[in-house]
Amino acid sequence: MMITMKASVQVSVLFGAGMLLAACNGPRRIRERPIMTNGDRTASQDRIIAGAAAEGFSDNAMLTQARDSIYAKAVATCRGTICASVVKGEISLGMTPAQAMASTRTAPAAWTVRESGAATVMVPRVLGNSPRDATGEVVMVQFDDDRVNAVSYRETQGIRVVSSASDTTTDGRATAMADALIREGDQFNAAGDRARALDRYDRALALKRADAMLEYKVATMLDLQLRPVEAQIRYKRFLQSLEIEQIRARGDANAQLADAIARAQQRLIILERQAPVQSTSPTSVRPQERTTTAPPDSGTT
Amino acid sequence: MTYPMTVVLRRAALLGLAAVALSACNNKRVSRVDPGSVTDLSGRWNDVDSKLVANALIDQSFGGQWSGQYASAHGGTPPTVIIGAFRNRTMEHVPIGTFVKDLERAYVNSGRVRLVASRDERSEVRDEREDQQTNASAETRTRIAKESGANYMLQGDVQAIEDAEGREKIVFYQIDAFLVDIESNQKVWIGQHKIKKYIDRRRIGW
Repeated sequence: MMITMKASVQVSVLFGAGMLLAACNGPRRIRERPIMTNGDRTASQDRIIAGAAAEGFSDNAMLTQARDSIYAKAVATCRGTICASVVKGEISLGMTPAQAMASTRTAPAAWTVRESGAATVMVPRVLGNSPRDATGEVVMVQFDDDRVNAVSYRETQGIRVVSSASDTTTDGRATAMADALIREGDQFNAAGDRARALDRYDRALALKRADAMLEYKVATMLDLQLRPVEAQIRYKRFLQSLEIEQIRARGDANAQLADAIARAQQRLIILERQAPVQSTSPTSVRPQERTTTAPPDSGTT
Repeated sequence: MTYPMTVVLRRAALLGLAAVALSACNNKRVSRVDPGSVTDLSGRWNDVDSKLVANALIDQSFGGQWSGQYASAHGGTPPTVIIGAFRNRTMEHVPIGTFVKDLERAYVNSGRVRLVASRDERSEVRDEREDQQTNASAETRTRIAKESGANYMLQGDVQAIEDAEGREKIVFYQIDAFLVDIESNQKVWIGQHKIKKYIDRRRIGW
């Protein structure tokens, strides 16, 4: 009986030790204090919304008051076309700072104003949240003696500056956009991306129809991309447009295009000679023929 | 009139069964509780998580400067938001709509943000407008091409990390929401809420 008791005590001790060892190898119990348990309450959304609404209402009331007071000041001091521009929401040259703000339907809170003598510059307070007028996103308004003398707009092709009456017309805007596209095309051409360069020149040509040099650039791009038929048409159009310009400018303006004219005529002769071979069998052009009739160097464009 | 023991036992068993069946009929209990109360049963995503996420996102969204900056640059006009894709990237079923709708409600009711119908919602509206062009009288007809364009799109996702050992389990949810300027692709606001749940399934407990 004594042996049995001793054995049972030993078994219990061993079992306890085994349990302790097993516990050492198990995962640690989580002792984090809960921050929310059953029976608690979540915060009311209505209170948050009401707070935001009250704050928004007071901010909006202040902005509206400031905007209305600027608008009243602008309209009280304007005359003729300036007044019409304010109503249309379009910044025009000769406006005062208040009129420029009224044209964008903004208050002084939207702008950072810097003054230096007679010159004043107004830029949006937050970049990427620029005020807009009827024409587009305004990135800078420059004043000379408190009158607008230049307005800069952010457009797809970059910044467009309006600093003269001709810039404000539809033609002026188209010319500025076309110039930006040509610049972009030149950059792509320099980077060797002729497809994109051609795309930009083509788009510029839609805005600036009477630009002979642009026509020449398009022809060259097509020629470089081994599209001889289209290149031929473009070279011809380039030479034709020059004749019209020749009459207009009495030959004086064409002096700078002499090189381009010579190259266009030369390429036209080559392409015309090549045309019958290509029309009969476009794939029959041998490699050496291609090298002899290689398109002009893109650098010349 | 004495019955054998087996008959007595059989009758007793039948009576017991009948009693259990009767009590089982009465086991359904339905009660209304406060929607704001915390009631966790299984440990999976539930109404409390949705509410916590909505509250956090509403708070963070109104705390951000994006709407104020837009309004100040546009003469007090609030920005217009469209709800974009909000993805559930967890293995669990997480109804995204509940907290997104809470956020929509907060935007509209606060008056600080304008909301336009999302891609799914607007097709029905467009159909109705199209139908009006033919069937409605001229004075009540709504005009076409007068929709408001959105300035920002709300997008986001829900992700979860799980860790389990034996009867214990940890689930971590991360909810990210962001507003993207549709014109420039800039993210103008990012909201985030994290929930960590500890689930202990005891075999014996009260």
